[in-house]
Amino acid sequence: MADNFEPRIIAFVCNYCTYAGADLAGTSRLKYPANVRIVRLPCTGRISPLFLLKALQKGADGILVSGCHPGDCHFISGNYHARRRWSIFRTLLDFLGIPKERIWFSWVSASEGRKFADLITEFTENIKQLGPFTQYDKLIKEMSE
Amino acid sequence: MMQSSELTTKAKEYLRIAKVDLVIGYLEGTTKDRRRAGFIRSAEEADNLVLDERCEDNLAVYLVKENLLARYKKVAIFLNPAGIRTINVLASEEQIEADKIVILGFEITGGDVRILDGESVDDFSELIAQLKLKAFDSEQMADVDEIDSLDVDKRFEYWRGEFSKCIKCYACRQACPMCYCNRCIVECNQPQWICRSAHTLGNFEWNIVRAFHLAGRCVGCGNCERACPVDIPLMKINRKLGKEVLDRFDYFVGSSKDQQAVLTSFKQDDPQEFIL
Ligand code: SF4
Ligand code: SF4
Repeated sequence: MADNFEPRIIAFVCNYCTYAGADLAGTSRLKYPANVRIVRLPCTGRISPLFLLKALQKGADGILVSGCHPGDCHFISGNYHARRRWSIFRTLLDFLGIPKERIWFSWVSASEGRKFADLITEFTENIKQLGPFTQYDKLIKEMSE
Repeated sequence: MMQSSELTTKAKEYLRIAKVDLVIGYLEGTTKDRRRAGFIRSAEEADNLVLDERCEDNLAVYLVKENLLARYKKVAIFLNPAGIRTINVLASEEQIEADKIVILGFEITGGDVRILDGESVDDFSELIAQLKLKAFDSEQMADVDEIDSLDVDKRFEYWRGEFSKCIKCYACRQACPMCYCNRCIVECNQPQWICRSAHTLGNFEWNIVRAFHLAGRCVGCGNCERACPVDIPLMKINRKLGKEVLDRFDYFVGSSKDQQAVLTSFKQDDPQEFIL
């Protein structure tokens, strides 16, 4: 099972840094697993925790949230606000039994194409090890019955 | 008992001299062991007020419902320390004008009622500073720590069990003074973020969102948990997050009426050990 399990990974990224970094990875012909679906938002400050819940609700096995390094936010403070929000939100999810290992947070700048590709590779490997999020899948299935 | 009647007498006097035109206090409930909120407009009616160890509910919730404050010049209200902190939160979020509120402060400790000195919310800052020092101590956190000590999949099972009981009545929301939005996110259906049905998945989502929207705003009054008809231990989640904002951001909710909400502010050097 674990061998041919292809995880579904959703990445919520900001337009100005991580999306540009992902773009750079592409134009530099850096290879990374095709498991990731990228959702581009104007700013990390726009990445609502509701998006993460929605991704889980639709069967994501892993979620990456990424934006500009501190000090680099196009809108000056979006990432600082996001950072506080993420830290509380992940504590909450973890307390309720949604593993921290399934939701990663990172800063990836427009010049860090290599970092982006490596991160996706490592994350995908990790999620493959963890396997599908069966507990949550069960809830999703039960609901559609 | 001597003491608690002092406070109801004070309330009566406030109405008699027209210092306030409404008192929100406690009346006897439908059964002997219960108390309910009373909205008292005259000194005569004030004789029905009671104050004893059963007066647990945070009456501040009524200040933000039905635009009540717009109809009165000044309101006196019976509040315990969590209720007093609520006034600070609501004032800082510009939901109420703190100077319209006359606080009748009390504290219940081990079945006794103790009267708290002060009248305006600022009079209680020292009391609140003291509360901060002993907030979320290991005794209060014992049941939270117990959950934390479980493996993550056991924690999921525990909460799955609890949330499967939820009937999405939203009593927890209605009872909470900080849940004052006219249109709650659970009622938005374009897009629909949270599954509507009272199914475990949607219940999980609802409870995550409720807790998160109260993070850094919850004063721990317990109204939500007392209101829940199926006894979901909501306070475990609230305390977990309350301790988190205190430990991480040195933030004690409701410390002053000028305090900026923890999730609408930041420091450049906030901890970020979890960000790769
Ligand atoms: S979440 Fe519960 S304990 Fe916290 S302020 Fe609201 S009603 Fe009180
Ligand atoms: S009060 Fe209890 S049952 Fe009702 S919505 Fe809240 S958690 Fe669910």
